Amino acid sequence: MSNKPGDGRFVALCLVPALVLFALFMIWPTVNVFRMSLYTWSGFSPDMRFVGLDNFTKLLDDQQFVRAFQNTVALLVVVTVITMGMGLFLAAIMTRQKLRGRDLYRFVLYIPNVLSVVVIAAVFSAIYDQENGLINGTLRALSLDGLQLVWLGDQKVVLWSVAIAMVWQSLGYYMVLYMSSMSSIPEELYEASSLDGASATRQFFDITLPLIWQTLRTTLTFFVMSAVNLSFVLVRAMTGGGPDGSSEVLLSYMYKQAYTNSSYGYGMAIGVVIFMFSFLVSLLVSRATRREPVQF
Amino acid sequence: MRKTFALATAAVTALGLLTGCSSSDSAETKVLSVAALEGGYGRDMYTQVIEAYQSKHPGLDVQLQISKSIEDEISPNMKAGKFPDVVVLGQGRKAGLTETLIKDKALEDLTPIRDGLKDRLTEGIVGNLNTDPYGDAKTFLMPMYYAPTGLFYNKGLFTKNNWTVPETWDQMWTLAEDAKAKGIALFTYPTAGYLDSYFFSLLAGVGGEQFYTDVMTYQQDVWKTPQAKQALDITTRLLGYAAPTTVGYANEQDFTKNQQSILDDKALFMPNGTWIVGEMKDAPRADGFAWGLTPLPAVTAGTKRYLTTSVESVWIPSAAKNKDAAKDFVTFLYSEEAAAIFAKSNAIQPVKGIASSVPDENKTFFQLYEDPNVAALVGGFASTAPVEGVDIKAVLFDTANSIISGDKTEDQWQAALHDASEKLRQAGK
Repeated sequence: MSNKPGDGRFVALCLVPALVLFALFMIWPTVNVFRMSLYTWSGFSPDMRFVGLDNFTKLLDDQQFVRAFQNTVALLVVVTVITMGMGLFLAAIMTRQKLRGRDLYRFVLYIPNVLSVVVIAAVFSAIYDQENGLINGTLRALSLDGLQLVWLGDQKVVLWSVAIAMVWQSLGYYMVLYMSSMSSIPEELYEASSLDGASATRQFFDITLPLIWQTLRTTLTFFVMSAVNLSFVLVRAMTGGGPDGSSEVLLSYMYKQAYTNSSYGYGMAIGVVIFMFSFLVSLLVSRATRREPVQF
Repeated sequence: MRKTFALATAAVTALGLLTGCSSSDSAETKVLSVAALEGGYGRDMYTQVIEAYQSKHPGLDVQLQISKSIEDEISPNMKAGKFPDVVVLGQGRKAGLTETLIKDKALEDLTPIRDGLKDRLTEGIVGNLNTDPYGDAKTFLMPMYYAPTGLFYNKGLFTKNNWTVPETWDQMWTLAEDAKAKGIALFTYPTAGYLDSYFFSLLAGVGGEQFYTDVMTYQQDVWKTPQAKQALDITTRLLGYAAPTTVGYANEQDFTKNQQSILDDKALFMPNGTWIVGEMKDAPRADGFAWGLTPLPAVTAGTKRYLTTSVESVWIPSAAKNKDAAKDFVTFLYSEEAAAIFAKSNAIQPVKGIASSVPDENKTFFQLYEDPNVAALVGGFASTAPVEGVDIKAVLFDTANSIISGDKTEDQWQAALHDASEKLRQAGK
């Protein structure tokens, strides 16, 4: 096929709508967040005052912001490690072991991912209920009353309660991703290694993991970004950041400042911090996990 | 070439559709846009009032936008410069839209309307920080509906145990021990935010109305005064008697479980508003249950007790297009015809002679105002320019969760309040 004159123009024209939409709805708002973070603005008035980096200096002194940041980092680390670990483990079992009812397990584990966050919050409100919730009720039935906790009311526990809900929500999705990636690994590799006497654990670390490494890297980056967002919606629906700000995360604090506290510019400064933070973490993760791709 | 041209035309049309969302207002019929929060009173009363108004003003098209999250629906347009003409929305909402516009000084001065209705409005509801947010005797928000808030309890439980509703804090502490002996907690709250029904009355009760105003307007070192300390002492002691489940349920998902503990006779008092009757009407309850409402106890017997009175507001944005028509409409909202329609839905306006229109179930609540020792307390913290990272309401109310759980001490609470108040005072200068 030869390129006819005019083809280039046609391609360019076809790209224009997508490019315009991308610029209008992605690039422009992002640039705007950066710009607004340098202003004091309530969000409505025509009265915007340029304050330079003032909003960022104030952030450093804002204890509530520091706490929200710590909570976000804690959730990011804990939830990522648990979800990834369990996702890989379950995926390996489901693909390598000839489990009975495998499809059912996969289906059940995937369901939380299609539920809306409000439903998840309601489900966990029933699980965590301090009096007749699933957890405390079971503990009482097992005469383990001493282990009962006020899951959403204890400031030292509430963040982990949110973390568990986040893991529950996202586990199935990542498991399915890993399963599809694992099932494309040729069976011969496993056969050959088992003839050589490799155990299932050895096979997992020496065959499965290296061969799905690229998928793992991609999902890690996905996960960093989605965990930041998911933590916001879950916190908003489940705890509202409470009790007394102990489960506040960056996005929920940004929302409170930008809207409830009428400090839009300050909120946008928090937005910039979140943007830079997600960007940096993704970059770091991507650098740290870079390996020569192994192919079969 | 013709193909390219056709494609280009298609692309341009597509873009035109995207950008062409701006509507063209026709100039023939005048349009008055009204935005209202759909609260517990429902939406029918608004459509009826608008019908009544339109029948008097043919040629005027009153368009009503009403929603449970009206802020989310009108603020994108407002950011783009298209403001509704009349907005019925009070303060204290999560989105803080009304507060934001107050801070921006973006509301129309409604003092002439207030003066025009001078003989019609009941006293005490207008002329405070809620209606005159800058404290300069100019009204920017007209009070729309009012309702007493205070401590709600189960009348039946008191009759059954031969208890009397405490009128002083000393009686309250005695009652606390009696109730404790029966395994009933003295106090609970749905979420910490409901403590506004408690705290404002407490401050006025402890230090008088002037002290209350001082706190609300962030006077220097006001949180270091003995009165402030006394208010926090009382609160800390009260929170010591809180139902153990309070904090665990004090969130958006579970707050009704705290409300349920009053219906189940597990706790005696909770701060709330008259809407609680409708909100929990389908909930199971103890035998002989009946809702009661009391103002906060007095520090010493015989002194004034206060009922924090929640007042919804109606206001006109300065950027509204049809301000004159809007003002006429707002005035109509206080006419006898409109007030009667509103009262039918339990929405009680602060106009004279309304008491007889209050539906029976709520009548006893409104009768509390007739006690000469009980006064209505309206208002809330004064508006200042926004201070980044400082939310004094959150410090005052949410810390209660930490006091109950023992994560913070009363001294830390007092210090945090002082800090927030000073920052806001400096912003208000």
